[in-house]
Amino acid sequence: MTSVRRRLVPYGLLAPGLIWLIVFFVIPMYYMGELSLKTGTIETGYQMSWAFSNYTDAISQYSTQFFRAFYYAGVATVLCLLIGYPLAYAIAFKAGRWKNLMLFAVVAPFFTTYLIRTIAWKTILDDSSPAVSVLKTLHLVPQDGRVLATSAAVIAGLTYNFLPFMVLPLFAALERLDRRLLEAGKDLYASATQTFLKVTLPITMPGIVAGVLLTFIPAAGDYVNATFLGGTNQAMIGNVIQSKYLVVRDYSEAAALSFTLMAIILVALIIYIKFAGTGALMGDEEEAE
Amino acid sequence: MPVKKMKRARLLIVAVLALAASMVLVACGGGGGGLSGSDNSDVTTATGGDPTGSLNISNWPLYIDGQTIKNFQNETGIKTTYTEDVNDNNEFFGKVQPLLSQGDSGGRSIIIVTDWMAQKMYDLGYIQNLDKAKIPTVEKNLIPSLQHPSFDPDRKYSVPWQSGMTGLVVRKDLAPDVKSINDLFDPKYKGKVTMLTEMRDTVPLVMAADGIDPPDATKQDWLDTIDKIKKASDSGQIRRFTGNDYIQDMAKGDVVAAIGWSGDAVQAESDNPNLQYVQPEQGCSLWSDNMLIPVGAPNPAAAYKFMDYVYEPKNQAKITAYVNYVSPVKGVKEILQKQDPDIANNQLIFPSEAYTKNCFNQVSPPGDEADQQEVEQAFQDVVTG
Repeated sequence: MTSVRRRLVPYGLLAPGLIWLIVFFVIPMYYMGELSLKTGTIETGYQMSWAFSNYTDAISQYSTQFFRAFYYAGVATVLCLLIGYPLAYAIAFKAGRWKNLMLFAVVAPFFTTYLIRTIAWKTILDDSSPAVSVLKTLHLVPQDGRVLATSAAVIAGLTYNFLPFMVLPLFAALERLDRRLLEAGKDLYASATQTFLKVTLPITMPGIVAGVLLTFIPAAGDYVNATFLGGTNQAMIGNVIQSKYLVVRDYSEAAALSFTLMAIILVALIIYIKFAGTGALMGDEEEAE
Repeated sequence: MPVKKMKRARLLIVAVLALAASMVLVACGGGGGGLSGSDNSDVTTATGGDPTGSLNISNWPLYIDGQTIKNFQNETGIKTTYTEDVNDNNEFFGKVQPLLSQGDSGGRSIIIVTDWMAQKMYDLGYIQNLDKAKIPTVEKNLIPSLQHPSFDPDRKYSVPWQSGMTGLVVRKDLAPDVKSINDLFDPKYKGKVTMLTEMRDTVPLVMAADGIDPPDATKQDWLDTIDKIKKASDSGQIRRFTGNDYIQDMAKGDVVAAIGWSGDAVQAESDNPNLQYVQPEQGCSLWSDNMLIPVGAPNPAAAYKFMDYVYEPKNQAKITAYVNYVSPVKGVKEILQKQDPDIANNQLIFPSEAYTKNCFNQVSPPGDEADQQEVEQAFQDVVTG
């Protein structure tokens, strides 16, 4: 009896998550997949017609917005990494007793809703704000130029909103780093740069991989930043999907666009993991061996 | 590649393939489970009887004062739940459509949407006809200009909640000479103007400024006008397309002229006197939001009671004084003349005939659902350009 029960335990543990995934992921995916191949309108109803043209239309017509989404998300992810790594490093190694407070500060923006935080950037970047005046004085923005309602504002918003998703995994990886390895590097006459490149960076690679994924994937599908901070030619693919679903109500093509976005991200993910190594994603430290 | 890694990579590929395969299987099994169409051939009339139980109303945010619902409950004894869950006609439609297509109103007895959406829902068979005998006060007090709108000439199924004008909202200090929609295309204001994401607000106004009468416009007129807007959008003339948030941009001075709503301007002007509504030279777009009784609505008798209640001038005056849109009820101006002359004399709340003489009723593109969708898509492609 006990052995049977023991064998059932893993399934019992899996059940809640599995049921959750089936109900809220697999089943909706099923309906969306079905819808993406149908044609029709709400008035006439939707008929299954194997309309793969929904996909070709979606890709050919909105390639600009697809490209823009990945470009913005890519730049934001790189910026997050450049800002986040030194920050996580400082918190893990130099913060001392301030460590918890600084971690709290990284997470604190989450106490305010995403929407409010994004709208706050409208005030930070508005045409007559101090921040923009400084940029103008430094000639980074032309005298008659603006920041709000440009690509720069959308990327800034994305970078700001997703920074914590980059910092936290990086911090976790840096925190775990065995300090004795750094001492060993020093003992073996490696310069600080060498130690960083040959020891710290490879060991924290799982953190980087996780941070990049957590930042890039939601950023690529985001539409809130482009809605509020962007102008007339800054719409991302998320904006197109949103308007297809809620305004035009072309559900089929919206579903096709969503699937295309997922497929592209999935392919990018596979390529990226191939490069970075599955081990990095799974969190084991084969690379460092 | 270490063996362990290869296994994992293979596992990942298998998982992806399995997902793809299940998708294909799923699609094969398709057919049922889709959205079905419907029509209005079998519209029912909401029955009366005695109001029993409770009343659920769905309306737009900030569209009623704080007292009316409480007073209604006290006077009638009908427990009323008033929910501000309509933020956008399209979005609300997307939310309730699956229920309404099953003949279920989701417990709502009154919903409030704009003219064109009211018509669309009615045409889909989602809205019930009204029994006029049950709403004598509405019959008596509805202002003449709203009695025969083109979308519902006999007010068979709709009762106006509030009305308003779409026109120009201008920073008088920064753009004093903006008088026509055409001025929004003046290079002087490059990057300083916005338009609304609601196609039926933006496109007809631009069209009218070009001398096309919106109610008579063809599909090609719509598409040509959208093309004109697209050029202005691509050149950077138009800063962005907005919902209500153009008001904040204007308060800061980032935007100096916009297509906007009269009620917004009344409220904004009290904070910043330079922010004003300007009646476009070629006229404004007039619209109403309408109370409707959806199919499957519980307790329609209570819904009738509520419609009649808000058409009593003394009750309506409270709503008008708070929301600052155009009231559809006769006799409200006289009451407010005593209570709050500023509101009673405001052209935006009680517009004279002369003030709105060039205005037209808000219109949708001509044609069937597919034609409308094509035009809407063309406009959305500009908005999400």
